[in-house]
This record gives sequence, structure tokens and C-alpha cells, in this order.
Amino acid sequence: MEKLSLPQVTVLYFARSAELTGLREEELVAVPTPISSGDLWALLLRKQPRLVALQSRVILAVRRQYVAIGNQRLSLQDGDEVAVVPPLSGG
Amino acid sequence: MAQEVCSLKAQLEEKEKEIAHLKNKLALLEKSNASVLEVQDKVTPLNPLTAKPALSNEDIMRYSRQLLLPELGVKGQLNLSGASVLIVGCGGLGCPLAQYLAAAGVGRLGLLDYDEVELSNLHRQVLHGEENQGQAKALSAARAVKRLNSTVECIPYHLQLSPKNALQLIQQYDIVADCSDNVPTRYLVNDACVLSGKPLVSASALRMEGQLTVYNYCGGPCYRCLYPLPPPPETVTNCSDGGVLGVVPGIMGCFQALEVLKIASGQASSCGQQLLMFDAQGFRFRPIRLRPKQADCAVCGESPSVTQLIDYEAFCGSAATDKCRKLNLLSKDQRITVQEYKSVVDNSGLHILLDVRPLVEVDICHLPFSLNIPLSSLEQRKSEDIQLLQQRIVQLKQQMAGDCQPPVYVICKLGNDSQKAVQVLEKMSGSELDNITVKDICGGLMAWATKIDTRFPQY
Repeated sequence: MEKLSLPQVTVLYFARSAELTGLREEELVAVPTPISSGDLWALLLRKQPRLVALQSRVILAVRRQYVAIGNQRLSLQDGDEVAVVPPLSGG
Repeated sequence: MAQEVCSLKAQLEEKEKEIAHLKNKLALLEKSNASVLEVQDKVTPLNPLTAKPALSNEDIMRYSRQLLLPELGVKGQLNLSGASVLIVGCGGLGCPLAQYLAAAGVGRLGLLDYDEVELSNLHRQVLHGEENQGQAKALSAARAVKRLNSTVECIPYHLQLSPKNALQLIQQYDIVADCSDNVPTRYLVNDACVLSGKPLVSASALRMEGQLTVYNYCGGPCYRCLYPLPPPPETVTNCSDGGVLGVVPGIMGCFQALEVLKIASGQASSCGQQLLMFDAQGFRFRPIRLRPKQADCAVCGESPSVTQLIDYEAFCGSAATDKCRKLNLLSKDQRITVQEYKSVVDNSGLHILLDVRPLVEVDICHLPFSLNIPLSSLEQRKSEDIQLLQQRIVQLKQQMAGDCQPPVYVICKLGNDSQKAVQVLEKMSGSELDNITVKDICGGLMAWATKIDTRFPQY
């Protein structure tokens, strides 16, 4: 019988999100799937509460594809990459 | 006889060489005189720029190595000669960008920057030299670019881009490159490009990271489609606070040059619906596929609410500069000046000097008698740091007669973080720590360096 398990995804933190979490990446185990993009962001916030500073001013990308934080339904698979990308303004 | 002929011939040859040398020198001088750079302090109308009908022999030789590319070819090179590009910001991104665009033969470059060259710019703003300190960056960049390719028309703008002049300026160029260093300017440039229908090749860099996107191009999103709301000003880090490794904006500026050249020569940019992220530390490149422009975008959407330029400093809650903001969080009696602190030291007043900068900055310079606990450790109540501070307070109390509260003076680089630290410490005083009197040293170590000890390093 095939074992049912929830996927493990890799979260990449860029710019300010890396400062806030003190991490460049981390593994997120047993992520429920399918999941809405809003719930995925909420999950990240529970794991890293300081990310709340970026609320509604951040880009989320799943498998290198932009997702709007909201109702978008995401099917996640083991090894998927989630990127948290706040804007950079320096030059 | 034969010897005399030989000698005369040799002398003649010598003179001919000298004449040729003088002719060359004159030609160069006349050429540079013909293209005197005039700094613009306001936006004025430009003559229309037309592409060259054909390449000269000199053009062919100069651009031969790129003419050989089927992707560019003669057609692409002629297109470049008729293209104009406005570079907003002649700093870490703008310098390499301007350099490669001029070298490649773009017809006209507008170089805009309101700032002057400083010593702390030179590690990344590679068009400026030591001798250009104090000079307008726009002029310094234009001169450097002219030396590289005198056939490129350079227009230096020594002015601040504003809602009043942005549209008039941007309308005169084919492509805009955002190389600015602050959030309000990024929104201003975006909106002006949307309103005048210009592609915007935008890059940014900080610390060890960079980002690149081409906005408002072939149905792709604009900056506001991605970031409808500006970040709260207190969460924005600039290069003078956060630092940047010079080569990182160098790399991003080169990527910008690549995309500008593709668009200007008539090839398509491949970055129109992508955000490229570069993490220099981990050497990770991550292209992110973006969604198309958004129907509900405030400026490029179907029923936009922004139909003319607005007040971007008010919209972002911050000034259009990367200079550090001066916070004012405390009352007058919670602060002392560097002169007052100097007299505390001179009178051997018992106290603790708490330096709340990150360790990396303390390594650059510090006052010898300071205790270093970074603001972030205080905010996070790191137990070993709090214990260390408590020990020092107890020691000081033992040295002090009576039961007065030990004074703690808090210092940082410019006097912003130290104010935040005073607020944190006042909350801890009497609970997590023994009772203390906390004061902020106004203006921090940089005020100390300018007003008290000029041998103290500035950074």
C-alpha cells in the first residue's frame, strides 16, 4: 500500500526576510496540500512570526512562479521550493 | 657625402613624426572641444535623435566584435545609434550600466544624479575617481563615459527627479533604467514610465543581494503590480546603513546593461515577466516567473487611480534619498550632547557607556571604555547580554556612594538605534535590570568624530 505523507518543502528567504528570520533557507515539513497561498503564508508566519513586518509587501514564489497571497490553490510536492521575496531598493 | 644624405633623411623622418604627433594632438583637442559637456540643472527639450543611416569605417572597426554577432549585426548596431536611454542614478548600478551602454554605442545617454561624489562611493561607483570627490556625479560619470566613447551624446542632469520634472524628462527618452537608491524614487520612476509608455529596466542591490526586472514591457507588470504598497520606512535598509559589496551592484548594473541593449537594438528583453534574484553569498540565481500586468493595478490597470504623478515622499513616508533619517523618539531630558558626555568623561563621572551597534561596526571603531551589546540583542532580551549588563550595573552601584541610580549612556553610529535602545532599557529598568538612569548620546559616534575627536574614524 502506498504511504500517504505530507510534502516537505524548502523555503528560501531573500533580502529583508533573511534578516528577519536569520536564515537563508529552511525546510518546512508536513505541509498540508492542497493549500491556499494565503494559508501557506499564514503557515510561514506561524513558523517565523517576525515576517509579519513584510505583510502585504512581499512576493511569494512557488516552484519559481509568482503566487498572489490569497485564494490561489497550490498543490505542493516533496522538494518544492518556496521563495519569500521582499523588494530591495538600494543601488 | 653619403653620410650627410643619411643624416638629413633621418632628421626629416624625425620632423615628420613630430608633425604627425602634433596633428593627432590637435585633432583630439578639437574633437573634445566639439563635445563640451554642459551640466543640466533643469529639464530642457532635446533635439530629436535619429539613427545613423550607415556605419562608418571607424564604427565598423570599433564595434566589430559585436557586429559579428548575428543577434546584433549591422541592423542592431544602427538601432543602438538611434536609441536614447535615461539612467536614473549614477551610483553603484548606474556606473557599470552607463559604461557598457556607451561602449556598445547607444546614441544618447541621459545621466541623472542629484548627489556629489564622496570617498565612500568609490568602492562601487567605478566611473568616479579620487579626483572627482565633491563633483556632481552626473558630470563625473558623463566625463568618464565620454573618454570611453566620444561619439555617444551624454547629457548630465544634476538634479533631483521629482513629480514636477519626471514626465517631461522621461518622455524624451526611449528606455529608462532605474538605478536609484530609495523607495519614493522607485515608485516615481515606475509611474512616470507607465504614464509615458516607456520600458523600465530596474535593478537594485544591497549587502550581498541583487534584483532585476524589466517593468511595463510587452504586457508585463509594473512595479506597483508587484508591490502595490510601499514598505514601512523603518523596515527599509539603505546602502549607508546596511552596506553593500561593490561588485554586487556592479553585477546587477551589467545585467541592466544587457537588457537595455537587447531592447534598444531591437531584440526582445527576456526579463519582461521575470524577476531575477541574485544571492552573491550563496551564489544563487533565482528567476521568478511573474504574472502579467494586473487589471486592478493603481497605475497600469484598467481603471487606474493614479493618472498623474503624486507626492511620492508622502506616499512612502520617507524622503527620496538614501541618506540616513534622523529619528526623534525621546524627550530632551532623555538625551545628552556629545559635549555633555565629554565633560562626564573629563570629570571621571562613574557611568556605563553602552554601544548598541552590531559587532561588525564595533570592529571598525569604538570608544575604548564602551560595553557593546547590539540593539537587536536588547530587543530580543538575549539572556547572556542582559546578565552582562546587570553585572556591570551592580559593579557600578558598589563603586557609587549612596543609593543613586547608575547612569547608562547609550551610543550608536548616528543616534537613531541608541534612542530605540533607551526606550528598551527604560522598560527593563527596575524589572529585568536594577534601576538605572538611561540617556541617549545625540548624534552618536559620528557627532563625536566631528565635534570632539577629529581623529576618530568616520564611516
